[in-house]
Amino acid sequence: MAKVLEGPGMGLLRKWGISTPNYVVVTSNDEFEELSKVNDWLKKSKLVVKAHEALGSRFKLGLVKVGLDLAAAKAAVKEMLGKKVESVTIREVIVSEAIDHKEEYYASVKSTRDGVDVMVTTYGGIEVEENWEKVKKLSVEIGESPSDAQLSALAKDAGFSGDTATKMAEFLKKLYICFDNEDAQYLEINPVVQNSNGHLVALDAVTLLDGDAKFRHKDWTFPFAAEFGRAYTKNEEEVMAVDAKVKGSVKLIEIPGGNIAMLPAGGGASVYYSDAVVARGGKLANYAEYSGDPPDWAVEVLTEKVCSLPNIKHIIVGGAIANFTDVKKTFGGIINAFRKAKGEGKLKGVKIWVRRGGPNELQGLAAMRALQDEGFDIHVFDRTTPLTDIVDMAMAAK
Amino acid sequence: MSILATKDTHVVIQGGVAGVNAARRMAEFRYMIKQPLNVSAFVYPPDAGKTYEIVCGTELVAIPIYKTVADATANHPEINTSLVYIGANRAYEGTMDALNDPKIKTVSMITEGVPEKDAKLLGKHARKLGKTFNGPSSIGVVSAGECRLGVIGGAFDNLVACKLYRPGSFGVITKSGGLSNEIIWICSQFADGITTAIGIGGDAYPGTDYVSYLEMFENDPQTKAVVIVGEMGGDLEESAAEWYGAKKRRIKLLAVVSGFCQESLPKGMKFGHAGAKEGLKGEGSARAKSDALKKAGALVPDTFGALGPAIKATHEELLKSGVIKAIPDLAPSDVPRLPKTVAEAKKDGEVLVEPLIRSTISDDRGDEPLYQGYPASELINAGYDIPHIIGLLWDNRLVSRQEAEIIKRIIMLSADHGPCVSGALTTVIAACAGIGLSQAVAAGMIMIGPRFGGAVTDAGRWFKYAIDQKLTVEDFLAYMKQNVGPVPGIGHRVKSLKNPDKRVKELVGYVKSLGIKTPHLDFALEVEKITAVKKDNLILNVDGTMAAVLVDIGFPVDSLNGFFILARTIGMIGHWTDQKRQGSRLIRLFDYLVNYASPKRREVPPLQ
Repeated sequence: MAKVLEGPGMGLLRKWGISTPNYVVVTSNDEFEELSKVNDWLKKSKLVVKAHEALGSRFKLGLVKVGLDLAAAKAAVKEMLGKKVESVTIREVIVSEAIDHKEEYYASVKSTRDGVDVMVTTYGGIEVEENWEKVKKLSVEIGESPSDAQLSALAKDAGFSGDTATKMAEFLKKLYICFDNEDAQYLEINPVVQNSNGHLVALDAVTLLDGDAKFRHKDWTFPFAAEFGRAYTKNEEEVMAVDAKVKGSVKLIEIPGGNIAMLPAGGGASVYYSDAVVARGGKLANYAEYSGDPPDWAVEVLTEKVCSLPNIKHIIVGGAIANFTDVKKTFGGIINAFRKAKGEGKLKGVKIWVRRGGPNELQGLAAMRALQDEGFDIHVFDRTTPLTDIVDMAMAAK
Repeated sequence: MSILATKDTHVVIQGGVAGVNAARRMAEFRYMIKQPLNVSAFVYPPDAGKTYEIVCGTELVAIPIYKTVADATANHPEINTSLVYIGANRAYEGTMDALNDPKIKTVSMITEGVPEKDAKLLGKHARKLGKTFNGPSSIGVVSAGECRLGVIGGAFDNLVACKLYRPGSFGVITKSGGLSNEIIWICSQFADGITTAIGIGGDAYPGTDYVSYLEMFENDPQTKAVVIVGEMGGDLEESAAEWYGAKKRRIKLLAVVSGFCQESLPKGMKFGHAGAKEGLKGEGSARAKSDALKKAGALVPDTFGALGPAIKATHEELLKSGVIKAIPDLAPSDVPRLPKTVAEAKKDGEVLVEPLIRSTISDDRGDEPLYQGYPASELINAGYDIPHIIGLLWDNRLVSRQEAEIIKRIIMLSADHGPCVSGALTTVIAACAGIGLSQAVAAGMIMIGPRFGGAVTDAGRWFKYAIDQKLTVEDFLAYMKQNVGPVPGIGHRVKSLKNPDKRVKELVGYVKSLGIKTPHLDFALEVEKITAVKKDNLILNVDGTMAAVLVDIGFPVDSLNGFFILARTIGMIGHWTDQKRQGSRLIRLFDYLVNYASPKRREVPPLQ
């Protein structure tokens, strides 16, 4: 899944005929100054200014300002741009038009195993959480489209009536078409509001796209944002850049505050390793994973990042019995990075735990074991040791 | 017995390199169970009409490549299964072709990164047709003793270690490829091994879910228990639990689910496979899935590590109740082995190979070339020069500093002789005709022979003959006249006594100044004294001088032309690059440079 920030998300909605408030995404005060000269709505409307970054709880962080006139908006833009929040520097701000409205509705389309669910309720805005059972749902099978009659019935069922019901059915149709054509996985509009002309307008959108479909969307020129309520760190971005280049995959997510560093192989096994750490009361310093026989240099880059995590006590180099990932080759990358890290004075007092099987496992494990002679505190096990026993041993070690 | 992949499975592989690699792995499996390869065809349009060579035991089998699935099944009607290795951006169409082919009943998609929508459409289409669509992102399917689809099971040694040469009693269904292999291994060590193991892929919406396969396992009498390795996200594990709990099932169900760590991670932080995501409203957590499976009566160990002992306990229970009998281990001599390559057998000291060629000069099997055993870099660092390398490679010895200087001067004097001589002219003509460097230089090289530059070896041979036989100059000339003809190394097209060759003078002067013994050169100069009197251009030429000097410093006769060839290569490369740099155009002789002595134009007589 790939999250898309509000700006490009709204752009996709507009592309498929859904009304949104006017908005501009700005990266500098000068740019906003120039934009305010040519966009009348910036002068006439009440404005909303928000940090355009992948940050959770922006409201609490003071990164959403509402009801502003242009002068106040300029001040807000100036205040937000360049501000450091957590590990993130705010590089973009979105300024949008406030829409006067009375009612707030909710509409979404979500991918399901058999197709999609179209969901709608009159209880929009913050009310939707408490009124989740009032959300009405229409399931549409993959390869089929919801009929006008079905959407109209859905809107009525959700409590819309008269002209608004008709408009909501039309809105949902556009939302579905947008979802289907843009390879979306989740589109949530909350709230949908009615402006003074009676038109339905999408005030805020959550847009999750299928990153795997990027090859057929040449206009997806925007970057994908992290899904976990914070921006990617520099190390994560660097590993993602490597991942995008190579056969196989390398992945890294940093978790501040932990002391058990993870460097396991395999999308499946890596989660079992994380589970084992948590089950034994350990604190994860990161999630990492390499798989699909990636080149040794890619694994080396990943290992360098893992070695530079602060305050780590253990590194878990776990893995199941690989089908086709070459253990000797990938371990070669890990060993290079270990040596480099040690040369830079890292890994002091860090215990390394290794368990692995697969093609060329004997040579790979022997090379790891040989690191003991170079002064590494490394403990190496083969396939006869159950998968996550190294985690138990690490957690029991003093 | 087994499911999905059986002894009756015949495969078409859609895709290029990755597919060929899979075929090789599948061939290893078939060799292990002493069966012929079950890959009948490839579909890969760029190579259509060719074949891929697959190693099967000690033989190479050629598997034909077709443009379309329809072509493949028309030519190989036994095909009933397709493996898809096509890139994600083209995989949908190719997979649809396979599903729509009436011969094909099962399609397993290995491709990763397939858009969710495409996977859902393919899954729906397969269900409509009553076919099995496994994947995307599947590692494959393996049925012990019968069939392997894809690379599941890994290397040959692992197949054997996991006893995949004969069926056990456990079915395996996993999302993760690496863990499928891990569970196969566990089943072989803690129990009697597997019947069939299926990787369904870690995507959000795999084409076939656990339930479909559980049904198949339930109907396979050989399978007594099934191990599921699940993960958070989606509702496939819940459906499996529902199926298992719905009524009394013959098979025992064991399961583990990953993703408990999510409970103590910062909110919204998710990782693992694409499908490993809790629902937006919290459904699909590892705990919910585990609980559902436990409630349905499945054996759900708390950790992955406890799965081995749980499988062991299940196996012992099956033995005790008499449902299965213990399978004796194979005698060590019966354990399947892959034939060794010659290189491996040689390394293990098991074969004697008669070498095809013998080399006495160099060896580059290490990290750098050795010339007569000396590492090239060390020669450089010790101050040795190109002539020393020539000495090592042409005469198996390190020449002295003085000899090296002579060789260097010979090369410098012979490097080029202008564009008009046969060799350079041919290279120039070739360069002007747009011919590449190596061919143009080779064309010039071809000119080196008895009349141009190629007399060095012969000159050296006869001067050496004279010295070895202790002939006088007169006897030598008489012998040559009677048996050989003109003396090689004597005579020049344009140079003469009055117009001496400066190069000869230079070389003779230098060598004489060294005060070394030069019997061959001395003899050659004596020969010149007599021949030049007879005709003033019968002087010792540069070939003859080089030859005499080189024989004097001990180079073998057969290497002597090499000095001219080597030297003149420098010049020919120069002429080629010179023409290239100028962008020279095609040239041809002018008519006035030809004496047309052929008959004038005349009537063609009628054909007899």
